Amino acid sequence: MSLLKLSFSNFRRSVREYGVLVLSLAFSVFIFFNFQNVIYSDALDVLRSMRKEMIDAVVQAASVVFGVFLLFFTWYATNVFLGQRKKEIGIYIFMGLDNARIGKMYAIETFLTGAAAWIAGLAAGVGFSKLFQMILLKMSEISVDIRFSFSLTPVLVTTAVFWLIYGFMIIKGYVSIVRSSVLALLTGARKKEKETKSGAVSAVKTVLGVIALAAGYWCALETGEISSFLYAVAAVVLVIAGIYLAYDGVIPFAVRKMCENKKFLYKKERTLWVNSLSFRIRKNYRMYAMVTVLMTASVTVLGAAIALNQRYDRIVRFQETYSYQVVSYGPELDREEIVRGIEENGANEVEYSSEARVLILPNEVFHAEKYANAAYGVVSESQIKAVAEETGLEWNHPDLEKGQVIDLDHVILMSMATDNTEVTIGDAAYEIAGKDETAYLGDVQWSMSFYVLRDEDYEKYRPDGAEMLLYNFKVKDIDASADYIRSLAQQTEDGAYIVGTNIIYPEKGEDAYIRVTYSLCVFLFVTLILAAGSIIFLKVGNDAAEDRQRYVILKKIGIPEKTLQKSAKQEIRFTYYCPFVFMTVSSVFAIRALGNVMREDLWKVNVVSTLFILAVFTVIYLISLTGYRNKAIGKEK
Amino acid sequence: MERNITDRKILEIRNLTKGFGSRGGYETRVIKGISMDIFPGDFIAVMGPSGAGKTTLLNLLSTLDKPDGGQILLDGENLEKVGNKRLSEIRRDKIGFIFQEYNLLDNMSLEDNIALPLSLNGVKSTEVRRRVQKMAAVFGLTEHLKKYPYQLSGGQKQRGAGARALVTEPEILFADEPTGALDSRSSRDLLVSLESANRSGNATILMVTHDAYAASYAKQVYFLADGQIRCRLVKKEERKAFYERILDLQISMGGEQE
Repeated sequence: MSLLKLSFSNFRRSVREYGVLVLSLAFSVFIFFNFQNVIYSDALDVLRSMRKEMIDAVVQAASVVFGVFLLFFTWYATNVFLGQRKKEIGIYIFMGLDNARIGKMYAIETFLTGAAAWIAGLAAGVGFSKLFQMILLKMSEISVDIRFSFSLTPVLVTTAVFWLIYGFMIIKGYVSIVRSSVLALLTGARKKEKETKSGAVSAVKTVLGVIALAAGYWCALETGEISSFLYAVAAVVLVIAGIYLAYDGVIPFAVRKMCENKKFLYKKERTLWVNSLSFRIRKNYRMYAMVTVLMTASVTVLGAAIALNQRYDRIVRFQETYSYQVVSYGPELDREEIVRGIEENGANEVEYSSEARVLILPNEVFHAEKYANAAYGVVSESQIKAVAEETGLEWNHPDLEKGQVIDLDHVILMSMATDNTEVTIGDAAYEIAGKDETAYLGDVQWSMSFYVLRDEDYEKYRPDGAEMLLYNFKVKDIDASADYIRSLAQQTEDGAYIVGTNIIYPEKGEDAYIRVTYSLCVFLFVTLILAAGSIIFLKVGNDAAEDRQRYVILKKIGIPEKTLQKSAKQEIRFTYYCPFVFMTVSSVFAIRALGNVMREDLWKVNVVSTLFILAVFTVIYLISLTGYRNKAIGKEK
Repeated sequence: MERNITDRKILEIRNLTKGFGSRGGYETRVIKGISMDIFPGDFIAVMGPSGAGKTTLLNLLSTLDKPDGGQILLDGENLEKVGNKRLSEIRRDKIGFIFQEYNLLDNMSLEDNIALPLSLNGVKSTEVRRRVQKMAAVFGLTEHLKKYPYQLSGGQKQRGAGARALVTEPEILFADEPTGALDSRSSRDLLVSLESANRSGNATILMVTHDAYAASYAKQVYFLADGQIRCRLVKKEERKAFYERILDLQISMGGEQE
């Protein structure tokens, strides 16, 4: 049998055995290709008007993140593959093959595995690219027609990235085999796996791990505003370090304690699976840590995306509160007349309308000379309440007490500013009792900062500023009466407007990239979670092969199969759900920190994403358990 | 060795037969009508050349395999008549095994290895620990209990396997070439331990071996050849003399064993 034939038959066998590896690699190629396709294919050229360059930048960033992930994932997967292979290599040495030839055989085999994933991923990628784009746009709430289009660039980019990473791994494996001594190859499989670490080292690790995690979570809670950015960085670093130390120190320590406590240990199957776990965790701690970090990161990414999306939704809602705004700096206008005018000119329907008198104050009054371009105004409490009443917008603030104001703000994607708790207007300092981002005053609330004052306070400032009258209208058809509204504008003889008009067109998709970002993040999240699941799956499959001998012994000494099945279930359940529990705890803190920074309530995201991961993991766990039982315990005599 | 007819028998074997490869082809009969009784406290060695049917007999007696004909009564219970579930209970509660390979689990300490069958049977942990200590003392393993199999010598591992097999206080211990992979000193340690377990705790042992030295530790030696019991020796003298007698018999039966 030639080397090539031998490799090929090995490959055929390994496709069956490492189906999951091929599948997850292929899936990664699929996703990567589709990301690239969004950038290069002209199918999405329709998005030009929606700042496609922003979308491209976001997709490119997502690709880079994904590429880095792919690097680690491939690294890990090929290592498992190599470890498994090395066990069989001893046989080839007796067949008279030298290291170089064995290395070559391994390289061919790994190449074939990679090629299978590459071809399958690309084929699926091209085949389903339209579907992918449709889902992407649907999720992004962008409705445009997409046609199927094929371009070579994404194929080439994907191919280049994949083979760059995968090729490196092949060479790495080849070098590792060639450099191994014959003895190492022969005994490679049977390394001394039980290395009892010295008590002191693991005690230090345990203590450090607990401290790092506690400190990391604390930092996450402290993370709030942009000024606490350092806390966020510290939280990330500490939690990652803490998770590693937890798997390297805390958990092995706990499991070892369980093993030492015979009263606890000698309870039915526990003797088997706790011992097995203690043995495993030492070997697999990196995998556990990687999976936990990976999942926590993906939940956080998802949280960030959803937070952005929520904010974006609110911006849109803010902008859509009114359709027209008429601003008068002098003459009082008749709102009823304008409503009639709108309805008559263009057969339109006014859903609701409002009017408010606001006071524009010079910057100096707000002690904000630094911000020459900022504009400030105040509005009385009774006016705002009237607006809320008329429009049906809610006003959920208790009546202002003396010395209190409410900050009327507008929604922005992310704020760099910190929240003030106090504002000084003229000589008086006020406590900011609340903040509201509803567009009671319409479009002017975008460009100006408003404070709601008690009526008597408002009266106090009237001499300092100029009053402005706002008339806001929400209509069915914004275009129908636009001309009429424009006709309401009045200019003085010297050209200055005393009555201005504003037609507020709803979101024109300029910021649609935010929604695309959100959709991409959802894709990334799903892919990363699947990858995390398949990493554990690979590991369990690998362990099954090792455990086979142990189960043979147990069956021989008369342990019933049912007992073994139970023990296996406990052990594998731990393998899947331990990282899950860790991730859940860490993500609560991460999402909370994120929520603080983004000023969004994200607990729902947290719950939903956790449930999603739980569902994915449970499915993978069940498949994995069946596979493990067949492979390790088996039915054979 | 005088016995009363009323003595309780642990194993009663009647006219046991077993063959292989019967379906349509030529059948090889490996066990050709063996009958024997085993009483509490017996230490029996079964010897014979390769192919004599030693291992097949052991597999039949230890419920790992089913006979074609004849009867096996374990503690009065006809093994032919019991279902798989009961069979596995019997294996768990009444039978202990030692194999040629040590068969300790490499991922747990010797202590846990010995405790395993008891703990799986739901025995209380304090009782488990008491019995593990006792067995470890019998097999001279007390100071090795915390060690893992890879830290133990072959002989220690095999004694560990013996301790694990006897910790459940089975009705009978089956040992299949237990000294097969051991050097002479380790063999002796193991055999001394088995002998002491047999004497002190009344453990009933049936050991298959081709080694006359190992057999000399038993109280009785059965010689198997061509699927039948050819001869039985009962120990009445010192072990050394018994060993000589076994060797003599082996030579007179025509031929070196393997």
